[in-house]
Amino acid sequence: MTPLQLLPDALNASFKAVPAVMVSAMLLLFLGIGYVFRVADTEDLWVAGRSIGNVENGMAIGANWMSAASYLGMAALIALSGYYGLAYVVGWSTGYFILLIFLAAQMRRFGKYTAPDFVGDRFDSDAARAIAALTTILIGFVYSVGQARGMGLVGIYVFGGDYTTMVVLMMSITVGYLALSGMLGATKNMAVQYVILIVAFLAGLYAVGWTQGYSTILPHIEYGALLSELDSQFTEPFATDSFYLWVATAFSLIVGTCGLPHVLVRFYTVESERTARWSTVWGLFFICLLYWSAPAFAAFGTDLYANVVGPVYGANGMSGAEGDVIVVLASQLANLPEWFVGLVAAGGVAAAIATTAGLFISASSAAAHDIYTNIVNPDATQRQQLLIGRGTIVALGAVVTVTALDPPALVGELVALAFSLAGLVLFPMFFLGLWWENANRQGALAGMTTGLVIWTAAVLNELVLATDAGPVVPVYADVFPAVGAALAGTPIVFAVTIAVSLATEEPDERIKRIVRQCHSPEPMGQQESAEEVATDGGQVSAESQPSSDAESDGGPRRGE
Amino acid sequence: MTEDNTHEAMPENDTQARESHAQTATDGGVAAGRETADYLDAEVNIFRPSTPFMRDHLRIIWVMFAAWALLVFGPVVATYFATDAMTSVTVLGFPLHYLLTAVVSPTGALVLSFVYARRRDRLDSAYGIDHSTGGDDPDPAATATDGGGGE
Repeated sequence: MTPLQLLPDALNASFKAVPAVMVSAMLLLFLGIGYVFRVADTEDLWVAGRSIGNVENGMAIGANWMSAASYLGMAALIALSGYYGLAYVVGWSTGYFILLIFLAAQMRRFGKYTAPDFVGDRFDSDAARAIAALTTILIGFVYSVGQARGMGLVGIYVFGGDYTTMVVLMMSITVGYLALSGMLGATKNMAVQYVILIVAFLAGLYAVGWTQGYSTILPHIEYGALLSELDSQFTEPFATDSFYLWVATAFSLIVGTCGLPHVLVRFYTVESERTARWSTVWGLFFICLLYWSAPAFAAFGTDLYANVVGPVYGANGMSGAEGDVIVVLASQLANLPEWFVGLVAAGGVAAAIATTAGLFISASSAAAHDIYTNIVNPDATQRQQLLIGRGTIVALGAVVTVTALDPPALVGELVALAFSLAGLVLFPMFFLGLWWENANRQGALAGMTTGLVIWTAAVLNELVLATDAGPVVPVYADVFPAVGAALAGTPIVFAVTIAVSLATEEPDERIKRIVRQCHSPEPMGQQESAEEVATDGGQVSAESQPSSDAESDGGPRRGE
Repeated sequence: MTEDNTHEAMPENDTQARESHAQTATDGGVAAGRETADYLDAEVNIFRPSTPFMRDHLRIIWVMFAAWALLVFGPVVATYFATDAMTSVTVLGFPLHYLLTAVVSPTGALVLSFVYARRRDRLDSAYGIDHSTGGDDPDPAATATDGGGGE
């Protein structure tokens, strides 16, 4: 195949020694940390021994979350699509609140390893587990294509070379690093990666704002004054995209946030449900630091582009590839020193690697733990599991690399596709599974299948099979836009799941007790799952030893 | 979204039943075994909370969910219906619709998250729940310190 060579024209694409050394040193640092915290045991590979604390997990949430889509893609969408781009800012930040109030602590109490684990155990079905595992892998794939595109484009600034070479190089490094380190290494790295990416992004924003006279101490607010000088398309509401698309996109991103397996697993790595709650608050704060900044960076970049390069909008305006590197491009157009632009670029690479790491680990545990060990070979040894897990990482890396050579959309849009998938298939299962004990196996299978069909049809309709004339079935694309299919689709999935659950037999008492345990206020031990507590309590009555053991693990009883 | 209609759907249980339950919950802390059985026998349905703890918890959740929905979708809906007013008013240099969407929504979600985590901690202490992970540490200050880390 002859891959399309994406080239952001305005970007200075040549080998630059200092930035190249910086990025290489950063990558070596990740490898080093990953190696030091490398793991040989599955508990550590997947949930880091359930030992991570508040702030550290908050940073991990932030780094895991803020991918190339946040670092590069969001500013690109704001610059290219104006007010519509803000749907991404809103959707990707405010969804954490829903996650916090409805799911985070209950998920921690459920206490398993992975998202498919939850679905499989809650609905007591290997078929449901398999669908959830395949969805997890599919999400990892779509999401990572966006990351690979981002890394490839930024790599062009740092190393010169062409897009294809950069995608292959960056993805090889990511895969090598992951196969070596596992979750504990990756989690330790995430705190480092968060610091690098946020420092790079804020430093870039402040430096551009300061040197160009846009802002002084608070660019996050000061860019407001610049808005009236930009092309009206930057702020005009619903100029390029409809009101419905705006709401659909924001909604999809919100429910997608609550359904993403690699986000969910962050709650399994913490010490207790209380840590799960507070680290969500911390995580959202760390995320907001970047999300407040992205529109400002986009505004500065758009103004610089208009002054230095040419008109931003219209036929000869900013290209998609230029938009996706607007953050780096703005720093370059502001004539900042080369090493500094390199720092901004390095932040983008750190963001992409941290998220790809989280996604690939979720996908590899879905393959090794949920599909292989639970369904194919129940007697699998740890060694076999690790082997399958690592094999999945390598295979997925290869497929992502090939797809990213000719990506069908912008970084932010690609990632949004993964969100709408998560919002359609997994979020309804998590929500109903935790909040309605009568949701059952048949309901889950019907609901997840419906969600998968809606999403697949939307993507085929709008991206894969679409021609230059537009989507195959325009009406379907209007109601279920690929990036926002969850607005119309998720209520349908809810309805199907509920209706089928009501029409079929209620789940076992055992399952109901597990769900109830997720909502009980009683504290649980660090290594305990809801299933253990519920089952202990069920088989033996009040005088039971195991039950009170479980109790005292959690915390001291009141004395009276 | 289905959750929107739920404020009416939430049953307002009579206070008497509530009080008697609350008593069990607070005093029940002594008899650990019985407590567990209580919670494990209470139905989980988001529209029909069956324990006092869940009822109190869900009340916090629904109120804050409504505030959140207003913050997140309020600005864009207002912009759609009153486009001229929203775009012509300028605050801090921003057109109002841009400020509300780009700055106020994310910040509001952050503030709400903080408030929720605080209220949930308070709810926990009202029900005598202690999340300090050691398990053997009888010092209530441990919780406070823990909480300090979270702020």
